[in-house]
Amino acid sequence: MDLLLQLLATGIVVGSLYALCAVGWGLIYGTTLHFHVAHGAVFTLAAYYAYVGQTLLGLPLWLAVVAAILAAALSGLLIDLLIYQPLERRGAVRTVVFIASLGLLIVVENVVAIVFSADPLRLDIGVLRTSLRLGPVYLTWLHALTVAFAVVGFCALVLFLRYSRWGHAIRAVSSAPEMARTVGINLGRVQLLTYALGSAISAPAGILVAMDVGAEPYRGTRFVLLASVAVIMGGIGSLPGALLGGLFLGLLENLGVWKIPSEWQAAISFGVFLLFIVVRPRGMFGRRVASADL
Amino acid sequence: MSAYFAHYLVMVGVYGILAISLNLLVGYSGIFSMAHAAIYGIGAYASAIVALKLGMGFWGGLVVAGLTGALASALIAIPSLRVAGDYYIVASFGLQTVIVTVFSEWTSLTNGHAGLPGIPRPTLFGWQIDSPFKYVILAFGLTLFTYLVCRRITRSAFGRVMQAVRDDEIAAQAMGRNVVGVKIVVAVVSSALGALGGSLYAHYITYVNPSSFQLHESIFIMSLVILGGSERLAGPLVGAFILLAVPEALKFLAIPDSVAAPMRQIFYGALLVAFMFLRPEGMLGREKVKVKS
Amino acid sequence: MTAPVLSLQDVSKSFGGIQAVKGCSFDVAPHLITGLIGPNGAGKTTVFNMITGFLPPDTGSIRLRGEELRGRAPHEIEHKGVARTFQHLRLWQKMTVLDNVMLGCSTPLGENVLTLFLRPGAVAAEEAAARLQAMEVLEFFGLTDRAGELAESLAYPEQKLLSMARIYASDADVLLLDEPTSGLDNEWLHRLVPIVRKLADNGKTVLLIEHNMELVSELSDEVVFLHQGEVIARGKPAEITRDPALNEIYFGV
Repeated sequence: MDLLLQLLATGIVVGSLYALCAVGWGLIYGTTLHFHVAHGAVFTLAAYYAYVGQTLLGLPLWLAVVAAILAAALSGLLIDLLIYQPLERRGAVRTVVFIASLGLLIVVENVVAIVFSADPLRLDIGVLRTSLRLGPVYLTWLHALTVAFAVVGFCALVLFLRYSRWGHAIRAVSSAPEMARTVGINLGRVQLLTYALGSAISAPAGILVAMDVGAEPYRGTRFVLLASVAVIMGGIGSLPGALLGGLFLGLLENLGVWKIPSEWQAAISFGVFLLFIVVRPRGMFGRRVASADL
Repeated sequence: MSAYFAHYLVMVGVYGILAISLNLLVGYSGIFSMAHAAIYGIGAYASAIVALKLGMGFWGGLVVAGLTGALASALIAIPSLRVAGDYYIVASFGLQTVIVTVFSEWTSLTNGHAGLPGIPRPTLFGWQIDSPFKYVILAFGLTLFTYLVCRRITRSAFGRVMQAVRDDEIAAQAMGRNVVGVKIVVAVVSSALGALGGSLYAHYITYVNPSSFQLHESIFIMSLVILGGSERLAGPLVGAFILLAVPEALKFLAIPDSVAAPMRQIFYGALLVAFMFLRPEGMLGREKVKVKS
Repeated sequence: MTAPVLSLQDVSKSFGGIQAVKGCSFDVAPHLITGLIGPNGAGKTTVFNMITGFLPPDTGSIRLRGEELRGRAPHEIEHKGVARTFQHLRLWQKMTVLDNVMLGCSTPLGENVLTLFLRPGAVAAEEAAARLQAMEVLEFFGLTDRAGELAESLAYPEQKLLSMARIYASDADVLLLDEPTSGLDNEWLHRLVPIVRKLADNGKTVLLIEHNMELVSELSDEVVFLHQGEVIARGKPAEITRDPALNEIYFGV
């Protein structure tokens, strides 16, 4: 029983990481329809920005984290500004944008691997390393912070989307881009903002993982894949769905360990995904999946 | 012919099969897959396993490889293509991950990380294929076979439907075509053929292990298609001729291994991005269904 | 009174808060041209989309020769004999005129990968027959000398003809034409009208969406007037086009 509770707790922590990634990716996908695999690159970069901030620039941890989140937001924005939007202006179809995104992910990961080596780079997190006991469950303050980030970040994003002018613009573009354009919304700017926001909310995930086990160049690919699975299961266009999808995957992975060797975890998650799309393709909270422009 | 050059030609053949078959899916049908390295591996392992454990010959192994590749592909294509192309991307990504795990962890079947050595060489009517030159002939034959099969398909009524589906899926549905069915068939055929490349590889190197079939290999195969050009079926073969010569060129520069591998990846990744700007044709097609509510 | 080929009963569809089609019921008689008319936004294309399976209706039934079409996929509905054109044409621009029409023909052997390899003779024969049929269709529409050109190189009126040729090549006996005359000048209109007439004379049932009130009488045997998603009038074109109340709705106050 104690083991189960421990796995549940770890599952919630890992799920929070996946949730942060999923919400960011889902915001971007739902608004732009870009299959932005390079989100994994932003995730990776965030961790290294924090490392550079703390280790090379000597910033205190909290400042390094904040700076890293801002830098990651900027990175995401620049990807859209310099790669996706120019491609779209040339009439690129979605496959073309996806291939460019994939190429970018590969380039960033490997540049990081050369510059920083492929070994995990540790951040000095000091007091966050101290353990926190909740009954039979052992966690660290870092883990608690991770869950807090997910909750706070998600709420902040939802509030922004619901109550701010820019948030309304994003939602308008998300549900009816042509109509949004006719009422005078600048689609290009909204898209940039979406990328900045989506990157900002997922950046903490990259940083928190790095704080726990060290920054690694190739982790982003796995996270962006899981993010896309979470978004599909939660329902495209639903941020709560993405959050829950991420949590679900985290729990599945960790509770699964109870009975199934950890190497097979990805296979289990993938199997669940396939089952999901057979049984309920639009996901938990998704609207209808595809409707044609007739 | 030097043994070295013969080796180069055989590998061009292997990757030619992989890239031409991928082109059928990505270039001609606009369906993106991350799993072609997994399919490559499935072909290699299936062929190796039936040879080592059941004593099946190369030609039987080829058939088993093709069928296994087709089956694995159908498993992800049917549920995901029913919904949308993006679902297939995710599903293929997942398949790639799972298959690598199978190769590494299902040790009773695949011997895990140690791999399967001692795969027997092919024989043709009692005549064993054991010299570099004979392998070149075999590779050439299989590549030609793959090309001809793809050509027959693209130049047929089915090929017409493939292009119609790619250019305007809604119109294809309105003209009575089962668009999902067409896409599934293309995915399955592409994988059946790709698996043949794996079979050739296994019986050539006579050893397989999981490291040859990772995600970065899928990226490499994709680079062959992009570089060689997807408008022509044989374009990716040109890509293979070019890109397989590059590592050799890099070796002359005496770059340490730890840097060489990521550098190659940077090169392929940059190639993908650059070509989407410089030469997206072949990938250009009319915007299809918008995934929206 | 012969049984209707196509019958809509109480069909409705709403998008978000907007009711696009409401309680729509009408019949389409066989071998005649029925015009579906009404002001912009009346829901005409939505009705087409529902008949052809691209949009599921919220309520009601759509029957083809008594068989329910609701819930079927578009390609299945086409197999049952209903083919449509699109307002935005949706031709395969990068394919030749001939290929566009050949995709209207039936080539099941050539489209099946197994028979493609196992029965090459039969496949070749089928392809030759389809090609012949396609050329005949092109002749009917006067597009023979454009056969080898890409669809995108055709002038707009010719593209409209091609979109009709495409569905004519299929065996569909119920043809839904979405604004076949829009964007055409007078000269082309006078070439097109007899062609549409000939379709009905050849036994096809035509349901067309038409904006041009003058053409409506020339082109239709019966007319269904749709306004704000509801059928508010049906009958002979002469009655409908002369009705002052309907004219007011159509042209606005």
